[in-house]
Amino acid sequence: MQDQVKTIREQALAACRQAETVQELNEARVKFLGKKGELTLILRKTGQLPKEERPQFGKLVNEVRDELELVWDQREEELSRAEEERRLLAESLDTTLPGRTVARGTVHPVSRIIAETKRIFMQMGYQVVEGPEVEWDYYNFEALNIPPDHPARDMQDTFFITEKLLLRSQTSPVQIHTMERQQPPIRIVAPGKVYRADSDVTHSPMFHQIEGLVVDEGITLADLKGTLQLFVQRMFGPDVKIRLRPSYFPFTEPSAEVDVSCIICSGTGCRVCKDTGWLEILGSGMVHPQVLKQVGYDPGKVSGFAFGMGIERIAMLKYGINDIRLLFENDVRFLEQFTS
Amino acid sequence: MLVSYKWLQDYVHVPWEPEELAHRLTMAGLEVEGITPFAQDLSHVYVGVVKACHKHPAADTLKVCSVDVGEHGTFSIVCGAPNVAAGQTVAVALQGAKLPGGLEIQPTEIRGEVSQGMICSQAELGLGDDHQGIWVLPESLRPGAPLAEALDLDDVILDVSIYANRPDCMSMIGIAREVAALTGGELKMPPIDYSELETPIAEKTAVNVENSDLCPRYTAALLEGVQLGESPLWMQLRLKAAGMRPINNVVDITNYVMLETGQPLHAFDYERLAGGRLVIRTARSGEEMETLDDVRRKLSPDMLVIADGDKPQCIAGVMGGRESEVTEETKAILLETANFSPLSVRRTSRALGLSSESSARFEKGIDPSGTMFASKRALHLLQQLAQAKIYAGHLDIDASERKPAVIDLPLAEIERLLGAAVPEQTCIKILESLEFKVEEKEPGLLKVTVPSHRTDVKLAADLVEEVVRIWGLENVPSTLPADTSSSGGQSRRLDVADYVREVLVGAGLQEALSYSFGREDNNDRLLRFDQPMIKLQNPISEDLAALRHSLLPGLLTAVGLNASRQQNRVALFEIGANYLGDLPLETQPREEMQLCLVLWGQRNPMNWGLPEEAYDFYDLKGILELLLPGEQLVWAKGSNATYHPGRQGSIMYQGSEAVVFGEVHPAVLRNFKVPGRVYAAEVQLEKILDLFTVTPMFRSLPKFPAVDRDLAFVVDRDQEAGALIEHLKELGGELLQEVTLFDVYEGKPIPADKKSVAFSLRFQADRTLTDEEITPVLERCVSGLGAKFGAEIR
Repeated sequence: MQDQVKTIREQALAACRQAETVQELNEARVKFLGKKGELTLILRKTGQLPKEERPQFGKLVNEVRDELELVWDQREEELSRAEEERRLLAESLDTTLPGRTVARGTVHPVSRIIAETKRIFMQMGYQVVEGPEVEWDYYNFEALNIPPDHPARDMQDTFFITEKLLLRSQTSPVQIHTMERQQPPIRIVAPGKVYRADSDVTHSPMFHQIEGLVVDEGITLADLKGTLQLFVQRMFGPDVKIRLRPSYFPFTEPSAEVDVSCIICSGTGCRVCKDTGWLEILGSGMVHPQVLKQVGYDPGKVSGFAFGMGIERIAMLKYGINDIRLLFENDVRFLEQFTS
Repeated sequence: MLVSYKWLQDYVHVPWEPEELAHRLTMAGLEVEGITPFAQDLSHVYVGVVKACHKHPAADTLKVCSVDVGEHGTFSIVCGAPNVAAGQTVAVALQGAKLPGGLEIQPTEIRGEVSQGMICSQAELGLGDDHQGIWVLPESLRPGAPLAEALDLDDVILDVSIYANRPDCMSMIGIAREVAALTGGELKMPPIDYSELETPIAEKTAVNVENSDLCPRYTAALLEGVQLGESPLWMQLRLKAAGMRPINNVVDITNYVMLETGQPLHAFDYERLAGGRLVIRTARSGEEMETLDDVRRKLSPDMLVIADGDKPQCIAGVMGGRESEVTEETKAILLETANFSPLSVRRTSRALGLSSESSARFEKGIDPSGTMFASKRALHLLQQLAQAKIYAGHLDIDASERKPAVIDLPLAEIERLLGAAVPEQTCIKILESLEFKVEEKEPGLLKVTVPSHRTDVKLAADLVEEVVRIWGLENVPSTLPADTSSSGGQSRRLDVADYVREVLVGAGLQEALSYSFGREDNNDRLLRFDQPMIKLQNPISEDLAALRHSLLPGLLTAVGLNASRQQNRVALFEIGANYLGDLPLETQPREEMQLCLVLWGQRNPMNWGLPEEAYDFYDLKGILELLLPGEQLVWAKGSNATYHPGRQGSIMYQGSEAVVFGEVHPAVLRNFKVPGRVYAAEVQLEKILDLFTVTPMFRSLPKFPAVDRDLAFVVDRDQEAGALIEHLKELGGELLQEVTLFDVYEGKPIPADKKSVAFSLRFQADRTLTDEEITPVLERCVSGLGAKFGAEIR
């Protein structure tokens, strides 16, 4: 009987080794270790043995069973792992196929620059306000110290609707609206569309500006300089510098044109900055006393600075766009380039 | 203003190279937009003297010249110019010279005669368009001297942009004054001395100013015995450097003095003036005059003219007349240096479409006190260079008000505006260098008298600008405004625009930007007739002539453009204003923020794993449902002429229509030349701003399982699903949480005039629901839909 057990063990081990699938292995397990398996059957024959041999025989069979169970478990794990590997291998995909495209939306470059500018100034405590695009001559010119027939009107070719109503040629009228509406302190930026009768590679009959205005007691040109320095660093990068040049705007005094160190060549000279190392990006100055007086402020008591910049100009510089008309054509091949 | 670097040094010492000068001027508010050499490289071009000149033995039109080029030797040169002759001083290009036209000079043989160089014309040297012959130079030049050096051709021209408030800088002296202020140097004024005849001018001529408001000052001088001819070479070259064409010595001198002083001058041929006198008056209606540019001009009664006893001879400040022009026969000259009203000159120049160096200066307003200096300067030159005999004195009709402005400038004001303290002595020095008179009224308070040429300086702030621009803006520190504890933010309108942009970009649409103005007939093209738009008085093109009522035309145009550029998928949106007002427009129009979106072509980008399907109505509706949640909106059928009558919807908010959407009517697409089908929506964001600020309220999550039951009905094919859903919700009562329409099917085995519609109903309560509770509700739904719509359960 003990020999039979040994034979069963040998046969079982052989069957286990030979099984190539989990299924074969399970069948073999039933055959040897199942309720009606050979090892179970031989254990039932224990009764045929002399009484004194029975415990030892029982022990032997149980040892063999334990051994075989262990071997079977190991083998099963081996086989199932191998089987899973085979299955996974068979499931291989061509991972180089492109993914299912999720259509990508894009924000227009002009909106991007406006959003960025708004964010920078809102963080500095500015209110973002709007003003009408169809404007009275008074707000677009007269209140800004540009009376009729002033030569500065030549600087801007204005679209007129009636004798008194026009498409604003600058966002500066928002300065007047704001100061008429509230008392200092004022700290606003006003993005919006403006219009001039001009159209070529760098001029569009419609474009966008952002106007800035700060009025309070003790506002200085130094404050203007510091504010714009901070702005250009956040907009173009920490190494970008500004340079103020004296200029002329009827509604600021002193006035300054603001250049940034060329963001293309970092100031070493290139085609974009015409080898000057500087790019003109905005006009600015201290609010003209006449403008303050016009809205009922006391220019002896409060002072302010104002600035205005062209959004398209900044977008073109920042994104390297060489023709302003591309911005208004809505060619999807152009628009889709402005992903975040 | 073109400024010759060398000429400038007549008036001021310039310690800087041209590039540095340009930088300094720019940083002082005179922006230099360009620096160009006056002449191109003229190395190996020298002054030479033609010693001998013989006919070429083998060619009738050529001459063989022997040219003395000083220390470089004597050269044999074959020349074809008809005007070459022995004794002339000429420009000679020798071996190694590369002329501006690209010609490289090499010794050569021309028909058997050696030619070791070339005698040049002005054109060949890049100095003009004179091809008539060789350039005959003054005899005073030394043979052998490099030509560029001998004629100051190695000059550099600065293109200075002059702001509208600085007409005083439209002159060499004006620029020199700025340089002197920057260097601390001295301004050197040119000589104005001349001798006069004994006869006073008043005995010979008369000037009558009828409109002194338009002509505050008229200063006239009379000269005779003028020797007309060419002006000297140096003057011709300087005029060229400034971009003007030399004409004759008299005209050149008037132009030269204008460039020098900024004061325009005009020379009349005295003998051609009827009555030998001038009347400054407005034109009479019907009067005409031929101007120097050979155009006959119709004058109108608001234009100021300089007339003789009969008729206009000059359009004041703009251009002279052909009839009294200075010619070779001219002997006597009446010389005008006047001051005209900027407004009058500007209006006349605009009305005639005629501008000149003169009008450009008068328009900006020039100093009336400058007429006498300019006149005397011109007389000095006319005597020197044209042998003029000058009658004694001037006729000077001066009605100009010239009380110098006196401004109090507290030094504290400088600091208050700049945020930087400029030392008192520095301020005084700067202002004085610009010819302001400065007195210290009391400590810390300067009394500043403005020089007459600075008509732009009126206020203390103007003086602060003068100080800071010379002191240097780079010296102003950078600070930030003291915190006024203001908090940043924006209006709800802008918040909504930002939100909408974010949602639509997330939904895969691209933001577009089109012009606010479009074709005048854009509403008609949308089949929205009799809705006239606000028109521009001066549009730049008929495509950009009227302010839009909708963003749709712009986006349809964009679709058309993309379709024509081989794109197969367009999904665009735009947020912008429409301009609505009653015509004729008497007040500002309403500018209402609209959102417009368009879908055209393929729903999906081309991809192996995505079906090739065209956009349809429900893509559009899905985007709108995503963007516009909220139960306050009422979705209804639409009836807008722009859209397909059977494929459009409208969304109402608080009783008015806020959105129209649907498939764009094919007739509209034909008008905009768009192929295929377009799905579009026009959303009046202005009307629904409130919707976007609703705060979402949390509802507890269900604690008990939901029960889902599906019901499929067969209904008439044209039965609208919306009504079925509404009725199911009513029938379902409290337990019914959600109705989802998950399938619509037409075709076998459903009869041809029917369709199958399948709903998933979700029941939910604060307890575990049993079949006993749900079954009666389902039965109610089935019988209810059957009764109302004839729906049969499948």
